[in-house]
Amino acid sequence: MAYSEKLIDHYENPRNIGSLDKASDDVGTGLVGAPACGDVMKLQIKVGADGLIEDAKFKTFGCGSAIASSSLVTEWVKGKTIDEAETIKNTDIAKHLALPPVKIHCSVLAEDAIKAAIADYRAKMAQKDVKKDEAAE
Amino acid sequence: MDHFARLGLPAALDLDAGTLDKAYFAGQRQWHPDRFVAKPPEERAKASTEAAALNDAYRTLKNPLDRAVYLAALKGVDLPGDGKTIDDPDLLMEAMEAREELEEAGTVRAVDALAAKVRGDFDKALKGLGSLFLANDKPAIRKALLRLRYLDKFGEEARARRTNIERGTG
Repeated sequence: MAYSEKLIDHYENPRNIGSLDKASDDVGTGLVGAPACGDVMKLQIKVGADGLIEDAKFKTFGCGSAIASSSLVTEWVKGKTIDEAETIKNTDIAKHLALPPVKIHCSVLAEDAIKAAIADYRAKMAQKDVKKDEAAE
Repeated sequence: MDHFARLGLPAALDLDAGTLDKAYFAGQRQWHPDRFVAKPPEERAKASTEAAALNDAYRTLKNPLDRAVYLAALKGVDLPGDGKTIDDPDLLMEAMEAREELEEAGTVRAVDALAAKVRGDFDKALKGLGSLFLANDKPAIRKALLRLRYLDKFGEEARARRTNIERGTG
């Protein structure tokens, strides 16, 4: 199977591998996995005071397409607002990396991961607001 | 006809390897192409279809995890398909931590220790399936099968990691 240059580049030189502090209030963590292939993917975002994603990290145990998909997403979301980051579609990822049809599910996983990270961040913000309200009462 | 019926076995999780082999070899003899060379084409075709189905049944039932997944599907357990993320955060956390430990394991001995632990978890979870099937607890069966798939995959990854270390490429 022929893989695209972009895919191979992301696989061989993955961007933003690593972890952010899961316990930190400004970090959202998305943890997802594909049952059929046993892959696990962790994607984290750190949101600045200005509402922009200032850092993103990932750790993926899976095939090359899963690694490339998550690497690409971390690159794309940096500097975006979470609302913008949320609009990333798996089809954009698959198209950019020219994923073969059997590997489309890897891009779906990456989309799920960023969505989960954003949901986690939002949940933390909501929690913070509740605490603030409680403190004000 | 389901795989169990094809081999004349009760549809159950527990299956003795010797009993399965015996049933398979009997079926193989029955549908062996040598016995059909002089027969009309439609009978030959039937024999070859039966032999292929028999092989398929045997392969699936021989592997304990494949057998459990197959039986669960027969019982109407809704197993998540490909391309959908798992909705079990504890399992994902467990899988992530295990894979990180494996990545950090730098010696064959360390890899073997991790693999042995996970193998133990796998065997335990597989044993636990029996009572879940008896109780027909579908959500619990689904959850256990998902975990078993991950533990099984870990075993594969551990073998690959071991080979890499031995070759000095890890």
